[in-house]
Amino acid sequence: MMRKKTPTLREIQWGQRETEKLDLRALLCQASFGRLFYSFFKSLVGKDVVVELKNDLSICGTLHSVDQYLNIKLTDISVTDPEKYPHMLSVKNCFIRGSVVRYVQLPADEVDTQLLQDAARKEALQQKQ
Amino acid sequence: MSFLKSFPPPGPAEGLLRQQPDTEAVLNGKGLGTGTLYIAESRLSWLDGSGLGFSLEYPTISLHALSRDRSDCLGEHLYVMVNAKFEEESKEPVADEEEEDSDDDVEPITEFRFVPSDKSALEAMFTAMCECQALHPDPEDEDSDDYDGEEYDVEAHDGMEVDATPTVAGQFEDADVDH
Repeated sequence: MMRKKTPTLREIQWGQRETEKLDLRALLCQASFGRLFYSFFKSLVGKDVVVELKNDLSICGTLHSVDQYLNIKLTDISVTDPEKYPHMLSVKNCFIRGSVVRYVQLPADEVDTQLLQDAARKEALQQKQ
Repeated sequence: MSFLKSFPPPGPAEGLLRQQPDTEAVLNGKGLGTGTLYIAESRLSWLDGSGLGFSLEYPTISLHALSRDRSDCLGEHLYVMVNAKFEEESKEPVADEEEEDSDDDVEPITEFRFVPSDKSALEAMFTAMCECQALHPDPEDEDSDDYDGEEYDVEAHDGMEVDATPTVAGQFEDADVDH
């Protein structure tokens, strides 16, 4: 019988750096995971990330702040597809609604994956009890 | 624009945070005229001088931002990306509605730009919108199937540890093994 494990997704290639995609939706289906990832993202403030939205727009920027709903504020943004969204070329700072985020790409060297997986597994086990 | 309709300007009952007069509204590059932008806790609204306008619900606002490019023909403005379609023919915004000629997988996107004559107000407008957005999180919905991407099957991933303990002892043993 298969036991549900904490899911993680691995995705390679973002420029020269290895990145790890965390499927936010799968992990946020339970409230306590939301708190876990709120803390996790707070620890990444000041780092460069790429936020991919559900409408396929991808935005590079520096993580300025995050709130409990994982609404994200980015500064110094650039859009990976400026031809599709020319109006965003002159935008420097933005606020992204948490519920429209599909992925957040992080530089691998900023993430202690083992620690995150362990923390998420603990949450999952606690949920079952 | 037929989606414009008449309604009373939002007030304290709607949690009005900020009212910005003399603000031009631009929809996907098309100017709608000059009016007043109302940033209220309940919704974002804009009304022109004749009392016609539109409202945007915060859950449909994917992102908002400040555009600081002064060489842009509009000048500095508030940019708002909305997850809905505003058709000229229809009376109301159409969100995620299935249409014959639209790709079901593509999320509708509409870009609004609000250009106040008072550029010094932009920071406050941006901040007010951030505060209002935080008041409208999506309801927690474990069974939500509005995810457009591929279904994420937790149990189907390679490299995961699998608990191979059979539920019934010996259930995988061949019967009558005869070496």
